[in-house]
Amino acid sequence: MESIIKKIEQEIASMTSVTREEETGVVRTTGDGIAEIDGLEGAVMAEMVLFDPTFDRTLESALKDAEQIYGLVLNLEEDGVRVVILGDASRVYEGMRVRRLGRLLSIPVGDGLVGRVVNALGEPVDGKGAVGASGSGTKLTPIEREAYGVMDRAPVNTPIHTGIKALDALIPIGRGQRELIIGDRGVGKTTIAIDTILNQKTEDPATRPICIYVAIGQKESKTARIVADLAEAGAMDYTIVVTAPASSPAAFQFLAPFAGATIGEHFMDQGKDALVIYDDLSKHAVAYRQMSLLLRRPPGREAYPGDIFYLHSRLLERAAKLSKEKGGGSLTALPIIETQEGDISAYIPTNVISITDGQVFLLANLFNKGQRPAIDVGNSVSRVGSSAQTKAMKKVSGKIKLELAQFRELEAFMQFASDLDEGTKKQIDAGQRMTQILNQPQGKPLAFEMEAAVIFAATNGFLDGFPAAETSAAEVRLQDFLTREAKAELKAIRDSREISDATDKALRAKLDAFAERATPVEKEA
Amino acid sequence: MTNLYAQALWTASQQEGADAKKLVKNLTEHLKEQGRLKLLPSILADLKRLDARNTKLAASVEVAHEREAPTALKEAVARGIHAEKAHVNVSLIKGWRASGQGMLIDASAKRELIELYRSITTA
Ligand SMILES: Nc1ncnc2c1ncn2[C@@H]1O[C@H](COP(=O)(O)OP(=O)(O)OP(=O)(O)O)[C@@H](O)[C@H]1O
Ligand SMILES: [Mg+2]
Repeated sequence: MESIIKKIEQEIASMTSVTREEETGVVRTTGDGIAEIDGLEGAVMAEMVLFDPTFDRTLESALKDAEQIYGLVLNLEEDGVRVVILGDASRVYEGMRVRRLGRLLSIPVGDGLVGRVVNALGEPVDGKGAVGASGSGTKLTPIEREAYGVMDRAPVNTPIHTGIKALDALIPIGRGQRELIIGDRGVGKTTIAIDTILNQKTEDPATRPICIYVAIGQKESKTARIVADLAEAGAMDYTIVVTAPASSPAAFQFLAPFAGATIGEHFMDQGKDALVIYDDLSKHAVAYRQMSLLLRRPPGREAYPGDIFYLHSRLLERAAKLSKEKGGGSLTALPIIETQEGDISAYIPTNVISITDGQVFLLANLFNKGQRPAIDVGNSVSRVGSSAQTKAMKKVSGKIKLELAQFRELEAFMQFASDLDEGTKKQIDAGQRMTQILNQPQGKPLAFEMEAAVIFAATNGFLDGFPAAETSAAEVRLQDFLTREAKAELKAIRDSREISDATDKALRAKLDAFAERATPVEKEA
Repeated sequence: MTNLYAQALWTASQQEGADAKKLVKNLTEHLKEQGRLKLLPSILADLKRLDARNTKLAASVEVAHEREAPTALKEAVARGIHAEKAHVNVSLIKGWRASGQGMLIDASAKRELIELYRSITTA
């Protein structure tokens, strides 16, 4: 005790030798979460500032309320700056001192974030204490940074398996790709993203991507539900949730995706794979619009600030597949956009479509018809993913594509044709079968070898004994059968990532047995 | 526009031997000539704002105790802050602080204790 007291006394005695020099300004006005500040002439865009609640107070009262209030510089003006208050704006008052921090907005990033739920500033909001206490330390990292250049990148060559048959077979996504999920309200956009996270459980832990789900402007209850579901499935072991709920200030919603990208880059820079989901960028754009109105920026199209396109493209550019020299890591981005009545020509959808490598279109009419996921496979694309598709998936997906394309043409014809010839009927049956095979319940992503085996069975006629309309039920039995009786074949596909001639043969033999055993019962019924 | 008039007026008023009466007379005459007399109220508003801002950002030196004033003023000058006198602010506990030129120089024990408190409580 004696020595501690001595130490503190020494500390105090030597204290006034410290002289701090800082650039400071004074709050001119404040309101709506924004502060106008006189001074801070040296400040730059996106720099962090600190509102000092202690300046005008006695030490005693200052220590009672010493929590820092950060701000983010977003407008540089002739005689001052406009700052978004990142915290309790009611504590900011006119005449308050504001200090420059001389660094861009930064968040603490580290491996310890895995399994955690944080806000846009990287602060934990799950009540589990400080981040990094258990794992390695965190590092303050600016949330804005230049994306990797062409020289540092490598072509996309590894798939990220979503576990959703329609995607993995027809619209394959590669690690490092930017694939947009777009559709109206309530058509299953989030479900696709979350199922993709769930499916990473089936990946080899050594190469399993770290997943980051960024919830922007969502209802808190919805995000809580998602976190609970992820935790229950054991998916929080490799997932981080960044949440800026609808109830949070627009600035937090604006910052959240950048925080998500920064966290993803942390893993990519270590040579790992990461997957980030921005749910959704429509709400992000709205938050930015709201902020910009408060900052009195001149509005552009649809009243969005003119630089929203630039903002989104900078965000999505950060997705990358790095070259070997850079460690070979990757960051895959799945941005989500909500459309109004399917209108993809509105400002924000057009923008984001143009800065992604492909789009998954979800259609309300398909959803309402019961096709789930409601993916418009005819129009959805993935421009770089097919080079990343496994041989196994390539082998089985060709046929399904063809049959679906033919089916789409026939579907229109069916509307008015009264009697169809045998050949046409057969084709329609096949199309229906394929459509049903691509249906998949929520929360049931499939390991890719199972996806490949199921599609293999369907496209090679092993389900033809079932009525086409009952394909989904047949698939359940098929999966069950494969799990029980085709372990070796599934493993072979998983390990080699292809369906070798030997596996092909063995699988056919098993499937013959399945078709024989299963279908007579169905036929009798 | 009015901001520029206000800025010019303020700068002129800060010059040595500035004559307020004459400055205002010149301005109103100029505005009349240009047919912009209507701008006068908003020029006044801008000028008030400018003045408030410059007062807020004006050089000031505070000390915890009167006896620290000479050193504090000298130290402040060395860092480009010229204040006429130092005000006593006992809440600083010990030492001094100065602001001006958009800078804050803080050599007070209060600040140091706050930083110490923060580093202990957030560790
Ligand atoms: N494959 C599926 N199978 C069954 N139900 C599904 C499927 N996908 C989505 N749903 C259901 O559809 C509803 C909407 O799904 P989801 O929340 O994913 O849509 P969304 O497009 O993200 O909606 P929002 O626009 O509200 O964000 C949910 O009730 C979900 O359970
Ligand atoms: Mg959603």
